[in-house]
Amino acid sequence: MSALKLHYQLHAIWRTEPGWRGHLRSVNHSDMGKRFIVAAFVFFAIGGVLAMLIRAQLATPRSAFVGPEVYNQLFTMHGSIMMFLFAIPMFEGLTMYLLPKMLGSRDLALPRLSALGWWCYLFGGTIIIVAMLAGVAPDAGWFLYPPLSGKTYTPGINSDVWLLGITFVEISAMCAAIEITVTILKLRAAGMSLDKMPIFAWYMLATAGMMVFGFPPLILGSILLEVERAFGWPFYTPELGGSPLLWQHLFWLFGHPEVYIIFLPAAGAVSTILPVMARTRLLAHGAIVAAIMALAFLSFGLWVHHMFTTGIPHMALGFFSAASALVAVPTAVQVFAWIGTLWQGRPDLKLPMLYLIGFFIVFVIGGLTGVMLAMVPFDAQAHDTAFVTAHLHYVLVGGFVFPMLAAAYYWLPHITGRERVLQVGEAAFWLIFIGFNMTFFLMHLTGLLGMPRRIDTYPEEMGWTWLNLLSSVGAFLQAFGFALVVIDVLLQIRLGRMHRRNPWRATTLEWAMPIPSPTYNFASLPVVASRDPLADDPDLGVALARGDGLLANGRSGWRETIAVDMTSGTPEHVAILPGNSWWPILTAAMLGGFFLAMLAGLYVVAPVFVVAVVGLGWCWAWSNGIRIDVGPVPIGNGLSLPTSFEAVRTTGWWGSVFALCASATLFTALIFGYVFLWTIAPNWPPPALIAPSLAGPLLGVAGAAAAVVGSRSGRRTLGLAGQLAIVAAMVWLLAAAPSPSSHAYGATSAMLAAYAIFHAALAAIMYAFLIARARAGFHSQARDGETRIVRLWSDHAAGAGIAVIALLALPGWLA
Amino acid sequence: MRVLLRLSAGLIGWTVAFCLIYALHGLGCAGAWDASRFRWAMLVAWGISIAATLGVALWLTRRRRTGLDRAAAALGWVGLAATIITFIPIAIVPACA
Repeated sequence: MSALKLHYQLHAIWRTEPGWRGHLRSVNHSDMGKRFIVAAFVFFAIGGVLAMLIRAQLATPRSAFVGPEVYNQLFTMHGSIMMFLFAIPMFEGLTMYLLPKMLGSRDLALPRLSALGWWCYLFGGTIIIVAMLAGVAPDAGWFLYPPLSGKTYTPGINSDVWLLGITFVEISAMCAAIEITVTILKLRAAGMSLDKMPIFAWYMLATAGMMVFGFPPLILGSILLEVERAFGWPFYTPELGGSPLLWQHLFWLFGHPEVYIIFLPAAGAVSTILPVMARTRLLAHGAIVAAIMALAFLSFGLWVHHMFTTGIPHMALGFFSAASALVAVPTAVQVFAWIGTLWQGRPDLKLPMLYLIGFFIVFVIGGLTGVMLAMVPFDAQAHDTAFVTAHLHYVLVGGFVFPMLAAAYYWLPHITGRERVLQVGEAAFWLIFIGFNMTFFLMHLTGLLGMPRRIDTYPEEMGWTWLNLLSSVGAFLQAFGFALVVIDVLLQIRLGRMHRRNPWRATTLEWAMPIPSPTYNFASLPVVASRDPLADDPDLGVALARGDGLLANGRSGWRETIAVDMTSGTPEHVAILPGNSWWPILTAAMLGGFFLAMLAGLYVVAPVFVVAVVGLGWCWAWSNGIRIDVGPVPIGNGLSLPTSFEAVRTTGWWGSVFALCASATLFTALIFGYVFLWTIAPNWPPPALIAPSLAGPLLGVAGAAAAVVGSRSGRRTLGLAGQLAIVAAMVWLLAAAPSPSSHAYGATSAMLAAYAIFHAALAAIMYAFLIARARAGFHSQARDGETRIVRLWSDHAAGAGIAVIALLALPGWLA
Repeated sequence: MRVLLRLSAGLIGWTVAFCLIYALHGLGCAGAWDASRFRWAMLVAWGISIAATLGVALWLTRRRRTGLDRAAAALGWVGLAATIITFIPIAIVPACA
């Protein structure tokens, strides 16, 4: 087949439809990546304008620019937008765009999940911004501490906007986390074993793993606070056995790993770009992989350093202080490896390199003040002052924004296919770098002089005036710098000359394709033998375009790419990916309807949207699969592989594994909350416990046993009956429990039961789906993938059911 | 997957130790346990954690065939070091003050 004919065939299969249908139905990773990046930058601009308003207010003492009510919304929205609507989606977008290209794949593993994430992000972010324009934006700080964010002190919908809007956006983050993890582990080029993976993929594997385990505590905390606000269940109300400290634990269990979740992708960009700019290879690759893994774990042991002044015993503070200092070590390992890489190479001071130098300076200063704040006595002095604001901006802007700007300039030719024009970017860099340091270095001093965070004004006699004025001037310099970046990018898109392939002479696979890239990335898929495939064969891109690689065909109109063994990279099966689809946007719209109904207090209407989501999920899943056995198909080089219709562990199976990991983490966080309140909160034990009985627990245990036996023996009706029995047992136990609004015991018991009911009901629906699919001819001995996936969910529901029964029944029995 | 588990093993050891020791500390302080016995309980938990992570590090060190195996071994020792350093306060700070 000629290269041109191959291109036309693949384009017909992978193309995004023209016009509005393409905008609504596309699931292509390049489209999704670019959409995330552009939207994140729009939110960044909005957050930046809010920052300018904050600095305008603080530029002079006793300023009357805005009042405290508006100011509270300004700083809350600035923080929330930058963290949830800019930083996370920005790296998600970059990763979605780059990852398949770097790994030698044609798309992400679960393309419709990416599209669902995109729409959830867009709709959730829009809800938050519209609320701000309507004057009902969140105003209790970006970490929304109760009791300030509770119904008593925030009676309007401001906190609900944050809780519901951010949770909606978090669905997007969870989709991305699962998507990225499965893609890295399964959709790599043939021969790309784990140790031959590009370093960026290692960073993203760690980041996505951290998201899977880091986000559920925040989602749980938000659900609990929203339920408290909506229905009066007292999770955070001390008078009824709750504790505001529970929110702080759940929030920072997410919040501190979040800093590294933001930093690691940026560090991945640094580790990718720096060797190219230095015209050498990355030094100490193994040490960097070890440092990434160490950061991924250690960063989960620091969350209490945000709570040093809450009265926690000193020994516990010591644990977290030591862990906080310890985490600097793997960070330093990376910094030294980067310096060593520069040392061994011949650095070329192009624009991306300029931003990397800015990153080094700013991030290292932020890291050092981080170690200062990890020390309990210093933190006690600097807590809630502008020093902390300065530190977090040095870490996040230094550790994320500067590397992302380097990444933007490095990969922009890939996206646009064009060269830069003029030298606007260099001027922008200096404005941003000088403006940033002017703003935030001085803020360290303001903080040390005692200026608290989040105050809307200050008296002249405090002596903070000139520092604040200079900080504000610096902030506006920065803003001009970012405006110049936008102009620079627009100039490149509109006026830049077409660029040659691989302009930086990089060695990773994303440059082994024409730029801008075609929708299918590679006309044929590469076989790699090292971490630097383009160094091994600089003409690899041409050979792949010619069809010399694997899967050089447009067989049956399927979107095909190769799935490999996780460790060795040996081809395992041909993954058949879904095409453009309505299901993601429709599902996101129904989820949006649910969140809006909750926001409007229409609690009777909200379940209607849940039913709609279930219905759409059914149709979505029904659109998968085929009714005939295909058998192995040729992939080129004399090899044949089964398709994903007949594979044992598909990307869908692995997606379910990581989704269940996230769900199990949420469940563990809920158990932590239950035990925490029982041991720490005031007004315990509760006035009444669940009355001991045997019937309910026995029914639940029997149901769980039936579910497990049913899932293993292939008796779907037995599995379905088992799951329904678990639901019935939970209802039985709840009927014996105190009212959820009477005490935190009743509230947490109800939440535990709700978790078990949700999962058992979901598994029951899955069994019903399996029964219908089998009748419709979608299953055979070879095509058994759906059964394996349902087994995972069924077993999890059974295990959770048993655990909840034990947690609810034991206190009554032991009393 | 086994390679990833080996890479994580040392730090999973630290994570488990962290959860258990922090939970033990919370229960002891909330339950107002006898100070002396409580300190010994904490020290024993720390000692068991060190022994366990040392065992993991030694196990990982014996198997060093590839670059990732060597990284896993290094991370095993990192897990041990983290377990020692993080819980030093058990030896020098009052438990519930």
